[in-house]
Amino acid sequence: MAVVQINNVYRTYHDTEVEVKAINGVTLSFEKGEFAVVVGPSGSGKTTLLNLIGGLDQPTGGEIIIAGHPLSGLRPSELIDFRKEHVGFVFQSYNLIPVLTAAENVGFIMSLQKWLKEKRKSRTEELLDSVGLADRHNSRPSQLSGGQQQRVAVARALATHPEFILADEPTANLDSKSAESLLDIMEKLNREEEMTFIFSTHDVRVMKRARRVITLEDGRVISDELRY
Amino acid sequence: MILEIAWKNVWRNKTRSLIVIAAVTIGVFAGVFTIAAMNSSVVQRIDAAVNEEMSHIQVNNKDFRSSADIRNIINDYPSLKSVLEATPGVVNTTGRIIIKGIASTASKSTGVEITGINIEKEKEIFTLPRKLIPGTGSYFGSETKFNTAFIGEKLAKELNIIRYTLTGDVLSKLESEGVPAEVVAKLGSIRDQKYPTDKKFSKSVDRLLTQSEIKKFSLKIEEAAWSYRDGSKMILSFLDMNNNQTGAAFRVTGIFRTNNDMFESLSVFVPENELRELTGMEEGTFHRAIARLENDELTDKVTPEIRESLPGYEVLNWKEIQPDLAMMADMMQEIYGIFMGIILAALAFGIVNTMLMAVLERTREIGMLAAIGMNRRKIFSMIMLESVFLSIVGGVMGMAVSAAVIGATSKNGINLVKYSEGMEAFGYTAHLFPTIDVQFFITTTILIVLTGILSSIYPARKALKLNPVEAIRGE
Repeated sequence: MAVVQINNVYRTYHDTEVEVKAINGVTLSFEKGEFAVVVGPSGSGKTTLLNLIGGLDQPTGGEIIIAGHPLSGLRPSELIDFRKEHVGFVFQSYNLIPVLTAAENVGFIMSLQKWLKEKRKSRTEELLDSVGLADRHNSRPSQLSGGQQQRVAVARALATHPEFILADEPTANLDSKSAESLLDIMEKLNREEEMTFIFSTHDVRVMKRARRVITLEDGRVISDELRY
Repeated sequence: MILEIAWKNVWRNKTRSLIVIAAVTIGVFAGVFTIAAMNSSVVQRIDAAVNEEMSHIQVNNKDFRSSADIRNIINDYPSLKSVLEATPGVVNTTGRIIIKGIASTASKSTGVEITGINIEKEKEIFTLPRKLIPGTGSYFGSETKFNTAFIGEKLAKELNIIRYTLTGDVLSKLESEGVPAEVVAKLGSIRDQKYPTDKKFSKSVDRLLTQSEIKKFSLKIEEAAWSYRDGSKMILSFLDMNNNQTGAAFRVTGIFRTNNDMFESLSVFVPENELRELTGMEEGTFHRAIARLENDELTDKVTPEIRESLPGYEVLNWKEIQPDLAMMADMMQEIYGIFMGIILAALAFGIVNTMLMAVLERTREIGMLAAIGMNRRKIFSMIMLESVFLSIVGGVMGMAVSAAVIGATSKNGINLVKYSEGMEAFGYTAHLFPTIDVQFFITTTILIVLTGILSSIYPARKALKLNPVEAIRGE
């Protein structure tokens, strides 16, 4: 069963006088363990597609099914719970909680899911270890570099074993060394935890590493290339 | 976790939070302390009225108050007394003879209320004996062949028993106490002149001195010039039981000072047996029975019980005798309410403003929290807790500062001597001992927390309206 199944999805905006078809009849599916990127020029619909898959936005047509559960018809509060249970997010600007330490940020979703303290602690340690931040448990985001913050964000996204991780331009704010090291970590986690990663990016470094590259233009898929 | 994040969020902009907390602290302190000071003047007034002047409950012959005829007496005082003593809550009783009369000295005369008392019983029930001005004698302690009277300072002044004189001794005492020689020299021109009132005395003194000298020394000079003629006598005249004019010379055995000018200028206390001899009133008859209760709060409960047991008499409690006191106490409650309302409203606006700023500043972060699965209830709680923390910290600090300042000032009091003349004319003390009951502290703290919660609603709702997608994107 596909982790993500997108069937003929549309997302149209009526914000201005002109109707904008951000996503225009996209059909895709992602299997467990994929390391896929969505590329395309600005305005091609990459972020919209990721928002739809992550349940942050609702399609105006078509259907999205995550791990067998259709998203259509879910109320906003159910969508929040859905995101908490099934999706890991990595944002371009890291978006960590500034008042919490690295370990507390990683543990945050686990505590939302009411994990026991001991279990939370060992999972946090394991994750910070695997992203190479074993010695930065008690650092606040402001005490970490951009690359380190993004690694904490990846650890946070992975914490509760979501179905997949959505990473919207995760390397856009990083220098090449930090970006490469972040991608190394993501690849490792993809391999070791068989975690599905779906990126949107302009970054060739990310594209080079991807095993599947989906190209969008004007809200349509114009190519879907597998590289094994 | 939410609790922890909310607490940490309060401190992420320390300056802003500290300013709000300081504002809340100052606001709460200002309100509570002002109320405590206002409260003290009413509490002290009630305390003085009950303990020095009236006690809790008075029982009169029912015609006594409408016509102060000496013959309107309580005939069966012993049985009335036993009824009072049998009433639960009553701890002590005494009887008083009350006669209207005229007090005169060689230079002045004035209308007074002469109260014949049982000295020992009065000492148990009233604090007035302790209001004796040091150096003016005693509370009926001196041996004399004359009748004796205990009178108020104001009356003593009116009768020229107390006056202001700068004798040679007084002038040299002033000089030894640090008043400069040139000031003392200026005062020489009114040496040995007798002034009946402090007003007239200070008027003369003010004419001789410069403004700065008046400011520095006038209180000291007035205090030193205060003089009392030891063993002064006055004539009290009144009607006896046969409606014949009678009277006698009374030696002033002591002078009391209270904060109630009216009471001081009207009251003359004399031993009941002296008055009985002069008026022909029989032993065991009185005009008024006085009942002392365990505490003020019992007043409303005990009064109707006594009234029911003594149907032929006029039974009045202190609130009925001086309704202005009860009204003041009630009005104070309303003033406290209005005062606290204003302070809490200011507090609410401060918190709404701060929290709104905090929410708008954290749009992206709150959007991210919603994106990764923090539900609306938790986001709402987080913002609400932040407001509650701000108000609790400020509120508790305000209460702590208030408690400390009230505690410190309640020992030595705040002396508003400048306003003493005006305040004492109405029976209110110019020396305030701020006081507030624990109940008020608890209620105010609860109200502050409630205000914190209510004022968080708008910013918290604002936070909930953020769309996670736009919130994350928008910067």
